[in-house]
Amino acid sequence: MSQRKYSADTDSLSDGDSGLDYLSHWLIQRAAHHTPDSLPQRMEEEWLADMAARTSALSRLRFAIGCCWATLVIAYQRPLVRMPVGDAVVAHANLGRFSRRSSTLFLVASLHAAVFYGLVSTLSHTRPSAAPPPPLQTREVPVARPRELLPRLDPQMAQVTLDMHRPDMDLHYEPDPSDVTAKFVEEPSHTGPPSVPDEPPAHPVRQVQGGPGAGFPDPDDFYPMLSRNLEEQGVATVKVCVAANGRLASDPALMQGTGRARLDEAALKLAKAGSGHYRATTENGRPVESCYPLNIRFRLKN
Amino acid sequence: MSLQTLRVLEAFLENPTEHLSGADVHQRCGIASGTLYPILLRLESAGWFVSQWESIDPSSAGRPRRRLYRLTSTGLRRASEVFASFNRGVLV
Repeated sequence: MSQRKYSADTDSLSDGDSGLDYLSHWLIQRAAHHTPDSLPQRMEEEWLADMAARTSALSRLRFAIGCCWATLVIAYQRPLVRMPVGDAVVAHANLGRFSRRSSTLFLVASLHAAVFYGLVSTLSHTRPSAAPPPPLQTREVPVARPRELLPRLDPQMAQVTLDMHRPDMDLHYEPDPSDVTAKFVEEPSHTGPPSVPDEPPAHPVRQVQGGPGAGFPDPDDFYPMLSRNLEEQGVATVKVCVAANGRLASDPALMQGTGRARLDEAALKLAKAGSGHYRATTENGRPVESCYPLNIRFRLKN
Repeated sequence: MSLQTLRVLEAFLENPTEHLSGADVHQRCGIASGTLYPILLRLESAGWFVSQWESIDPSSAGRPRRRLYRLTSTGLRRASEVFASFNRGVLV
């Protein structure tokens, strides 16, 4: 059995992990041994291979304990099904091999392992360090009076206004031949009167918010297949921080989800894939880095 | 059909032609091993899944071979019917 070649992998682990892995291997071998009929060899190899995909020793132990429970369930459901093993089909059942005493032994061993691991991990955290940290030194720091902390109002600042314009969301997607479409939803623009001072500003700042630019990925390509089949729709709001060069300055974050995890994940993937194809926000015509919400709608067409 | 079974089927329906091991299904669904493997074996015995050993060289791959499961045409049709009864629209 090829799995046995990897039994020595635990030699390179720490003592605690090696002990837990030994216990996990033993539990899986015992559990697989008690599966009905011709399953033991297959289940042992399958479980050991899947257990090797786990990263931590505790996770592997939990997996092994779960396999013990799986053995009980498989033995219970065994009379109801015929289980193919390799090329053979096994027709007869044997329920008496996994006795109540064995299951109790598994349970007791698992509980002991969990308590032992908890003790070891707790003691390792409470072990004093070899070099104690240096004692804290105190010194007096002059504290400024509160009124000195107040910023002084610059008379020029009172005359600066921000001229916010409606985002230029002029993306037009070609109609897709499929029955599913997805499109961006523009933020509603403010229609109320702007608060403009009586006197014209001395240095007005013209700011145009960025958005998806040329070459931005088609949202249809990110519509999950299962979501289409399940007729899941919704609008996700994703916060994107775009640098002056149109690339994402940080990973996009979900501000408001659709209520469907698949669609939210697809919206984040779409926002991330669009890096390099965003139009940066401009101030007086000069691109600057900024963050803004991006609404992505996944909608099915009738 | 239990909720856990539906979640396992959902993982396979994401890409019906894909071969998934028990570890893959656990990563996608988060179902514990004690529940997952009886479901896989039950669905396999019912003809919804077929399984085979992964065709790799364990020595060169650096890991043991895994048991891979795949939806059969029967399983795909039956699973679609199950989801259609809930969501009215799994078309495959």
